[in-house]
Formats: sequence, C-alpha cells, structure tokens
Amino acid sequence: MKRLYLPLILFFLMTLEGVALELLPAKLVINNSWIIPHWVFMFLVLIAVYYDLESSHFSVIYGVIFGLLIDIVYTGVLGVYMFSYAFSISIIYGLKKMIHANIYGVLFLGLIGTVLTDISINFIYTVVGMTDMGWGNYFLYRLFPTILANLLFLIVLYPLITKQLVEWRREQINRNRIL
Amino acid sequence: MSFFHKRRFFVLLIGIIILIALIGYSLNNRENLTTPEKFIQDAVGWVQNVIHAPVTFVTNIFGNLDDLKNTYNENQILKEKLAEYKSLIYEVQELKEDNDELRKTLKKTESIQDFNPIQATVISRSPERWVERVTINKGSQHGIEPNMAVITAEGMIGKVQTVSKLTSTVQLITGFDEFNRISATISREEGKDIFGLIEEFDEESNSLSFKIIEESKKDLEEGELVISSGMGGVFPAGLLIGTVKEVVSDQYGLTRTALIKPAANMYDINHVIVVDRKLQKDDKQNEEQEEKE
Repeated sequence: MKRLYLPLILFFLMTLEGVALELLPAKLVINNSWIIPHWVFMFLVLIAVYYDLESSHFSVIYGVIFGLLIDIVYTGVLGVYMFSYAFSISIIYGLKKMIHANIYGVLFLGLIGTVLTDISINFIYTVVGMTDMGWGNYFLYRLFPTILANLLFLIVLYPLITKQLVEWRREQINRNRIL
Repeated sequence: MSFFHKRRFFVLLIGIIILIALIGYSLNNRENLTTPEKFIQDAVGWVQNVIHAPVTFVTNIFGNLDDLKNTYNENQILKEKLAEYKSLIYEVQELKEDNDELRKTLKKTESIQDFNPIQATVISRSPERWVERVTINKGSQHGIEPNMAVITAEGMIGKVQTVSKLTSTVQLITGFDEFNRISATISREEGKDIFGLIEEFDEESNSLSFKIIEESKKDLEEGELVISSGMGGVFPAGLLIGTVKEVVSDQYGLTRTALIKPAANMYDINHVIVVDRKLQKDDKQNEEQEEKE
C-alpha cells in the first residue's frame, strides 16, 4: 500500500496542474508573462534527492509515466513531456551526488531541472512547428516567470514532504535487506 | 566506465527515437483517440471533477470580493440596460412569430440556425500555454462529437477536438490555426452582407484575422459584430464570434483582413454550451434512410 503513496501524490499534483490557471491571480494570467506549472517535475526532483537509492531509479520511471500522462491529458502531442521529464530528471539524478541534500541544494537542482525541462519542451515544440516565439522573448516572458513560480512551489513543498520521503526511503532500504 | 557511457548514450538514442515516433503519430491529424488514451482521459477527468468543485469555491470567494467593490456602478448600468431590454423582448417576440409564420408558408421549418444545446462545465485547462485547450465534463455518452462548436453566454470560444466517453477536449479559438477556419459574416441590410473566413489567431495583435472574400466597397467600422454564417457546414449560423477591432490590407493590397477581438473572455470560462447542429445531423439521418431504402 505504501508504495502507492508516491504515484498517488504525483497523480494529484498532475490533476492540480489542470486548475492551476484558475488558482493564479487573474492579473498574472492575462499578463504577457506565461507561468507553466511543472509541479510534477518539482516533486520528481525531491524524489530523486530524498527517496531514490544508488540502485533505484524511481524518479526516472515516474518521470516517463507521468510525462506521458500529461501529454495525453493536457496537450495531445505524445512524447514531448515524457522525453523532457525523463531526460532532465536523469541529469538531476546524476548531479545529486555533488550536492548536499538541503533546501539550497534542492533549489539549485530544481532550478537546473526547470531550465532543462522547459527549454527541452520548447525546443521540441519549435521543431514540430507548434510555436514560433523567438528565443529572446521565450527567455524573458516564459522561462523566467516559470522558473520563479516553480521554485516558489518547491519552497512550499519542501518542508511538507521531505521528512516523509526520508522515512519511506528507510523502509525501502529495509525491504531490500529482507529481500 | 566507458561501458556506462555507452549504455547512457544508447538509452538516450532509444528515447529520441521513441519521441520522434510518438510525435509523428500524434501530429498525424488523427480524429479519434486510441482506447488507452480515452481511458486515461476519463480516469483523470473523474478526479478533476472532484477536485474542481472546492477549487472553484475558493476562487469564487475572491472573485465575489472583487465584484462587491463595483456593485453600485454596475447596478446603475444594469438598470438602464434592463429598461432597454423590456422593449427589445416585445420586438423579438413579434419577429419570432413572424419568422415562424413565414417559414411555415415556405414549408421550410428547419434552418441552419437551429441547434441542440448541451450544457457542460470546464474541469481543467491545459497548463501548457502553447496548447490552448480545456477539458469539459461531457463526452460521447452525452452526445458530443468532434468538431461541434462550443459557446458561452458571451460568444463562441472554440470547437470540440477529441471526445472520450465521459469527457472531451475543446480547442479554443485562440489556438486555431489555418486548418480550423470558420465561415463568418458581418450582417448588413438588403443582402449586402459581408462574407469571409476567420483564418487564424494572431498572437501579436491578440485577435482573430477575418479574411474578407469579396472585395467590398462598404467600409467596415470598428465595433461591428462578426457572427458565424453557418455556410461551412460545421457550425450553426448566428453564433457571436467577436467585434471588429481594426481593418488592415494584406501585403499585396488585394484583399483586406479585419482583426477581430473575440467576444468571450478566454481566461474566465466555467460553464459552456456545446452546440449540436440540427440540420447537418438530420441530413445524415435522411441519407442513411435513403441508403436503407
């Protein structure tokens, strides 16, 4: 049962992303700057740092699954989020050994992750021809607000879930020993 | 060490191949979703239905507080409008009766204006802002089909893109490209209506471009209403699309394009009506009957 908690939380965050535009203040939404919620990805970063062991790749696997779900439910163009999430989270997974597992380290990883994900998504959409925004405008109006908003979300999420994740990791280690 | 590098490179390569295959598949202008996609949309839609209620409750409280500030001014304006509407109602009744009688004498009881409304609620909106689409809580079970027009009380907002059993996705007007044209018209007296096609949404000017088919000498004015003409065969006639904002000529100076400001607010959509055009359906049924005979 406890193994289901992580996917359930991720699923909940994914459905919340669908009403994110309603939650944000109207002025921010109509404004030129675009805020894209990558809340699922932010949680994946926390999973990579606090839950994954040396030998397990839960964050990458969840990245593939929930990226694909986001593609199906929200955009209709399959593969874009799936690839971007999996690609960026595996880089985060590789980077996590170099960084202390505290709020600053997590924020730094979150920053790198958001930049990688969003640029990757935008790059694919540009290649496919779904967007024609210049890169300069993209950095100013989309990437910058998106990074700020998502890091804010990460700061809120961090104290709520970190202890629980560490607890679950301990159980995961115990399970492995028994096996 | 080099083995690991090779393996990573290999995984990345496979990932890119899968990505390209999936994108190629989904951009192939397909009309119907695959069964797993439908299942996932229904499952997520069900959860979103549950989540949506408390979220709207909270956002409504803040919205209501905002509204309270303007209550007095709005009340004054509304009172004035109400007086106007009273006389309009009488006029409309007369016209309706007239219209019905005339139609009866012509033995033409159906028009391209008729439609069956299907009420629906928006349960989510795509967080990816490049993709302008919302999900509504009615699907094929309630009679919704792809390409039906979707309106709010203010005007047209888009068309149904994909349908699953219990939910369907609506592509908003602001996300229309050159593959989604709407045949539209500006109403004038004595058959001098101006016809044209709404071609695509222009991000820069934040408006729809309405390409006028025949070069007309009549000048358009700002604020004129653009409505759907029903000639395209998909949308019924008489749906309000927007108002004229500006008229520009194209790069060769041969045709003119009017920039249209959409009538509905695309960022405040809650309750929508899916428009089920009667005439087209009846035509289909007639055809089927004829085939049977």
